[in-house]
Amino acid sequence: MNPNLIPAVDPAGLPGPAWLFHILLVFTFFLHMLFMNLTLGGTLLAAFAHLRSGGRRDDFRGALAGRLMAVNNFGISLTITTGVAPLLFIQVIYHQYFYTATILLASIWFATLILLTVGYYAAYLYKFRGAPTRGQGGGLWLGVSALMFFVIAMIHVAVNLVSSQPEKWGSLADGGWNVLGDPTFWPRLFHFVLAGIAFAALVAVWWAVRRAGAGVDVEINTEIARYAWRWALWSTVLQVADGFLLLMVLPKPVLKGLMSGGLATLGPLTLAIFIGIGLLMMLARASNPVENPGLVTGTLGAMTLTIAIMSITRHQVRALYLEPATSQHHFQVVSQWGNFLLFVVLLVAGLATVAYMVRRVLTSPATGEDAA
Amino acid sequence: MDYPIWDLAMGGGLLMAIVAIPHVIVAHFAVGGGLLIAVTETLAVRRDDPALRELARRSSLVLILVSTVFGAISGVGIWVVAGLISPGAISALIHTYVWGWALEWVFFVLEIVAALVYYATWDKISKGAHLLVGWLYFVGAYMSLVVINGIITFMLTPGRWLETHAFWDGFFNPTYIPSTLLRTGIAILMATVFMVFAALKTPEDRRASVLRYLGWWLAGGVIVSYAGYRWWEAVLPETVLALFRGAAPSLASLAATRHFVLWALAVTLVVGVLILILMPKLTRAATAVVLALAAFAFFGGYERLREGTRKPFLIHSHLFSNGLLVSDIETINAEGVASWSGWVARGDADPVSFGRRIFKTECSSCHTLDGYQGIRGVMPSFAEVLAVAADDPPGSGERVFQAECAACHADLSFAEMREVLPSPDEINGDPEMIYDLNVGMVSATIAGLRAMGADYAAADRDRMINTAAMDYPYMPPFVGTEKEADMLGQYLATLIPQKGGE
Repeated sequence: MNPNLIPAVDPAGLPGPAWLFHILLVFTFFLHMLFMNLTLGGTLLAAFAHLRSGGRRDDFRGALAGRLMAVNNFGISLTITTGVAPLLFIQVIYHQYFYTATILLASIWFATLILLTVGYYAAYLYKFRGAPTRGQGGGLWLGVSALMFFVIAMIHVAVNLVSSQPEKWGSLADGGWNVLGDPTFWPRLFHFVLAGIAFAALVAVWWAVRRAGAGVDVEINTEIARYAWRWALWSTVLQVADGFLLLMVLPKPVLKGLMSGGLATLGPLTLAIFIGIGLLMMLARASNPVENPGLVTGTLGAMTLTIAIMSITRHQVRALYLEPATSQHHFQVVSQWGNFLLFVVLLVAGLATVAYMVRRVLTSPATGEDAA
Repeated sequence: MDYPIWDLAMGGGLLMAIVAIPHVIVAHFAVGGGLLIAVTETLAVRRDDPALRELARRSSLVLILVSTVFGAISGVGIWVVAGLISPGAISALIHTYVWGWALEWVFFVLEIVAALVYYATWDKISKGAHLLVGWLYFVGAYMSLVVINGIITFMLTPGRWLETHAFWDGFFNPTYIPSTLLRTGIAILMATVFMVFAALKTPEDRRASVLRYLGWWLAGGVIVSYAGYRWWEAVLPETVLALFRGAAPSLASLAATRHFVLWALAVTLVVGVLILILMPKLTRAATAVVLALAAFAFFGGYERLREGTRKPFLIHSHLFSNGLLVSDIETINAEGVASWSGWVARGDADPVSFGRRIFKTECSSCHTLDGYQGIRGVMPSFAEVLAVAADDPPGSGERVFQAECAACHADLSFAEMREVLPSPDEINGDPEMIYDLNVGMVSATIAGLRAMGADYAAADRDRMINTAAMDYPYMPPFVGTEKEADMLGQYLATLIPQKGGE
């Protein structure tokens, strides 16, 4: 009889050293986070703004909602596209934990697909408001979209928590909803949600400031920038509080591991906390961001840097959660360096092609008969 | 084999089909649409043809709404479902081909970004720049197919990989190039049948010529598909071909599927040529639906044939569809499945509960209780035994025998089976005896499946195994100790319908 619920390591082994997949997982997760923040935070912020505007597009909040969702029609696609890579790499190094967690929460994990489809098409219905919404502004579709993405975030947090705690699988097998009682569930969820809102708000501010600086719709862009700036400020205030709460409710061995991990763990965590507090100070410095475009760009850059660093800390926290289990398993490594090199070359070539394409598009405006 | 099992009443296989079939249709449309839309816009620019331009433009909206949304989500969905119903199997595939998927992801990024830019920049950038984006989209989409097809074909015909376990030996396997040609043809077909709907909105004076234009694409797609299919079939190993050319009654459905595939392709060509080339005025939404359904039937039939031919493997001759590695058969038979999986060991120790967990672990990737491939339905019942024994009216017994018994009793004819069975009076007089007989049949089947494991374990692992020569060519062997086989039998016995209960 096997008392161990953790499946065996895949005998096929790793097609490269484990550290390589850890790096790829963190890097691609960070890319995914950028677009995910826009999707989740942007849709939630758009829904709030739309509600406050009473559904009027001539109101600056209605314009902000329309602008955020115009970005999201592309952003959602890119969230999915960039999500594929971390989904691939997590299956390489954490397959036993990831698959087991998804099976224990199978119905709701599968439901993610349906929720995502509904949320995505609802975002398009908001964009094409008209026939489906009879010209009422599409607020219903926006609300549906925001709700779907929020529930998807809940499911992802739940799967992550279950996959990180194999010692709880026995009890979770008898009731998957128990994961909602995990003391870290809600702080963790809101850590993502608040980051998403703050990031999406800052992107909206950055764009509005650029437009206002170029003399386009200065009045409405100024109002949008001020409004979104306040959202970024207050969600960051709550984020800092929530971040400390999350740290406090982490299981003792995980917290201890984080605090005693030396520069490797304390470095990123401390840096992220300092930048987070710095972000607060930058956000509090101005009430009209249009007057200070340099501050806006700096704040957005600092926010992006924080997300990158927190992606590392998040990965380290998972590793600490799983340390008792992973220390028992050893991967066989059968490196395929040639294929990795091919991947890197193609990735560089692919990104260069995308950059060339975007540049060509931006520098080839339509001119009369030559319009595509 | 050592993961928990999702208790899904409808069955994992059916769920996978629900997610995967629409995905492959949309994914091939995304590839073929890239080619057709780019060519169509190029022609529109060269000929200064607004009708073709509008066709490209409308089709690009469909491409965005269907392909980048549903296609992308359902593509991830295949991974999600595979992880839920066959975690060990998808894990093995990913650990073998992670760099293949990583390469595909790069092309996927290019494809999605180009699609979004292409759709968003109509009328906003120069014609040359827009065409460039369209062609880049096609390159990204087609290269995705080229890469992913290496992994898909590897699963059916791993070729030299079985011997070397080398990435490229598996990628450039015997069916890779024919299958790439076939899927290229399918992609053109899928794109054409979708674009016919967009073409219906062309102004009356140009509609016929635009439909004819699509008709020639369709004819080309059919020809390429047919050539690819025949080539694919020609390079299949004899051991695989025997599955749908063989006479085994249990595999008759695969042979029928092959005929269906070829007939569906013929119907696609006939309907397409008729409504698009010869009489474009006949093209309405309804006839376009008929054309699309015929093309989907061909494609769906081919995918069914490919999947069915691979059974009982996920990676042929290496990994069974329930996650069992051929190389693990002897170990699990010696140590027991409960020693292999903590999820089987966990729970009530009574034989029926234990047997149920073994069923979930080893059988439920293909079998449900009462739904798709329902196990209860294949259990021998009192009524079936009585019907075979009585054969009243004459001929009815043989029909029941063929439908309910022949799959497992391929070695017996109807007459021989009747000789083995008690008389109808004896059956009616002692129903308990029939129940015991049925339990015995189930136990014998499990024992046969366990014995088959020895044949797999003894097979040359460097070559493709001839599953047609196995007693149950479409099933993995049962693995576990004799005691565990007995417990599975006890559980299955609880599912056997008794007199009055059928």
